[in-house]
Amino acid sequence: MSDHVTISRREFMVRMSLLGSMALAYPSTALAELRQSNADHPLPVWVEEPVWKTIAQVQETLFPAGEDIPGAGDIGAVLYLHKAIENPHADGEDKDYIFRGIGWLDELTQQRYTKNYLQLTAPQKQKIIEETVQTTAGRKWVSLMLTYILEALLAEPVYGGNPDGIGWAWLEHQPGYPTPAADKTWDQLQLRRS
Amino acid sequence: MSKEYDVCIIGSGAGGGPVALTLAKAGYSVLILEKGPWFTEKDFYKDELACCRRSVYTPKLSDEQHVIEDLDSDGSWLGTPTSDSGWDFWNGNLVGGSSNLMSGFFYRLKPEDFRLLSEFGPIKGANVVDWPISYDDLEPYYTLVETEVGVSGRFTDHPRAEPRSTTDFPYPATLEHPISGKFDQACRDLDLYSLPTPRAILSRIKDNRRSCEYSGYCGSYGCSSGAKGSSRAALLDQAVATGNCEIKALCKVYKLTSDNSGKVVSAEYYDGKENKKSITAKLYVVACQAIETSRLLLSSSGPKHPGGLANNSAQVGKNLLFSAGGAGSGDFDYSAMGSQESAAMKRRGPFVNRGLQDWYFIDDPTLGGRVKGGTVDFLLRHPNAMSKAMNAKWDNNDKLVWGRALQKQLKSIFTENQTLRYEIFCDWLPTDDCFVSLDNEVKDKWGSPVAKVRIGYHQHDLEIGHYINERSMKVLTKMGATNVRSSISGAPPANLVAGGCRFGHDPETSVLNADCRAHDVENLYVTDGSFMPTGGSVPYTWTIYANAFRVAEQIKKALG
Repeated sequence: MSDHVTISRREFMVRMSLLGSMALAYPSTALAELRQSNADHPLPVWVEEPVWKTIAQVQETLFPAGEDIPGAGDIGAVLYLHKAIENPHADGEDKDYIFRGIGWLDELTQQRYTKNYLQLTAPQKQKIIEETVQTTAGRKWVSLMLTYILEALLAEPVYGGNPDGIGWAWLEHQPGYPTPAADKTWDQLQLRRS
Repeated sequence: MSKEYDVCIIGSGAGGGPVALTLAKAGYSVLILEKGPWFTEKDFYKDELACCRRSVYTPKLSDEQHVIEDLDSDGSWLGTPTSDSGWDFWNGNLVGGSSNLMSGFFYRLKPEDFRLLSEFGPIKGANVVDWPISYDDLEPYYTLVETEVGVSGRFTDHPRAEPRSTTDFPYPATLEHPISGKFDQACRDLDLYSLPTPRAILSRIKDNRRSCEYSGYCGSYGCSSGAKGSSRAALLDQAVATGNCEIKALCKVYKLTSDNSGKVVSAEYYDGKENKKSITAKLYVVACQAIETSRLLLSSSGPKHPGGLANNSAQVGKNLLFSAGGAGSGDFDYSAMGSQESAAMKRRGPFVNRGLQDWYFIDDPTLGGRVKGGTVDFLLRHPNAMSKAMNAKWDNNDKLVWGRALQKQLKSIFTENQTLRYEIFCDWLPTDDCFVSLDNEVKDKWGSPVAKVRIGYHQHDLEIGHYINERSMKVLTKMGATNVRSSISGAPPANLVAGGCRFGHDPETSVLNADCRAHDVENLYVTDGSFMPTGGSVPYTWTIYANAFRVAEQIKKALG
């Protein structure tokens, strides 16, 4: 069958060594280079909309950047989430729940501080999340936010997060191969179910 | 006018593939109706979202689901739709079925598995019977699978070895992980027999299929090299190449229509555009995996089959089997190793390829004498990163973890140790509390009643599971593992399912005859795992493949 391409031993070894170097690249310079590269590339304009700005800041509270730790901004968590929940094939319930949660969060911060979340100090943001997870609905919402952050950290870069495999490198995780091209992502494959 | 085929096969997995290939090679016209899409090697990537976190290979539960009946706290059976529970019982709806997604550890049954009743006697509350065929009847087909599907391994004449007609496997064992040597040493110390696990994975090129590329992502993933012996890669591609086999993907059969004589006259299905269609053939083969096979027969009543096709003795769906047992694991901390050893232990790609069958039969007075035991297979923890990370979200007190604490936990889970797991496979005894019926309320997106599955288990299964587990844990401890933990439970593994249309000599107590033809439908065969009256203590796929090759020969004779 012509679909099958024979992989040579040399190509196989090259692939293996690429995977090896990816795991070794961290943390010496990879994160610093990524941060420089992120700074050089402006974010899309929707990121400045208050709701998305709030989401991004909640994500940073839930997954903060450290000197050697990639934070939510580094791993493209907001870009990943946007792409994931705005996908017409995605589970619409998640999108509704995330936006509803942002509404609750605003109400809570107004009650506690008569400010919105974006105006809070870092310790205040922490406190609000700590209070949010005390309720069942709040816990469920934060858990959902974390699910998408962890997906952004570890999913294939084609989905919008984990730039240059930074999440894999940080956790010394060796990904599999081959990795999906843009026309072979889960939503493209799912289209073939109907 | 639509074409009439010699044979119409419903389902393209391990039960359908051997029949399609055998008959197409013999010159018969074969049509396969497969509910799922037709993916090839060009569509399979090591993408955890596609394989395991979104519905790509299985339906959305809101479209198609099951109702699972389990005991509630009052001791009565309570049905819960899987769209509510999230407990997914689909295993792979695509051309080639769930064999695309298997890990491919392949074990044969043993001669005693074919005569469980005569060998070990009855067990109260269990419907244990002997099979109508013996190991010798199936042995040539186990051997055929080794070459046709491609089984790699290394035969060793161990105490539990089943008889073979060839000296060794046609493909050498796949590459092995350094931890296997550690395992072998522990077994020597414990006087156990470390058994090399055969795998339905090519260790060298076969025709158009490449050898394994050792990505380390195998179970749950489609194989992009073609090395994994899925029904699609190993059999259906060949069947189609004969020019005698046609596969219609995205075609969901909802009914087999039968006439006044009781024979099947057509298969009714929805095509990918949701149009109702009908197809005729001389002979029909059902291989939709156990639960859906029973569901289709129960949904196919006719003038001679008022309670469902082949169900005149009310046996369809009964004696459903899963695999009993459980799992355990232990950690090997890198901090306790030198740099060379930790680098070796971190390796991903090669297989552990080790199992234990020392307790396949157990003669121990504490268990009441000689009883049937099971198999233990050892493997590294699954490499899926996201599922591993998701575990870090919750602490031991079920409190949500986030911020620095989460990051610290992630770093620890991913970088501090290697984990060796084991899975125990024991007979899931057939009982009156484990069966398939049709649900009265829940329907699929086409309006057909979904399968309701009662999942009761026999207490004996747990006793055997615990017995083997205690001994398996000692192997990990001997190897130097820390944090050794395990769980034996009566929860059914949805991916290890068989029974529901048991074969036998008596039409009153079985659905199929020894040839896997329905007792009361002369042109209907069932070739997936549904035929098994007892399950044995190994994964089912090799036996399903072998039996389907055996039945294919009978079908050839029936077609003349």
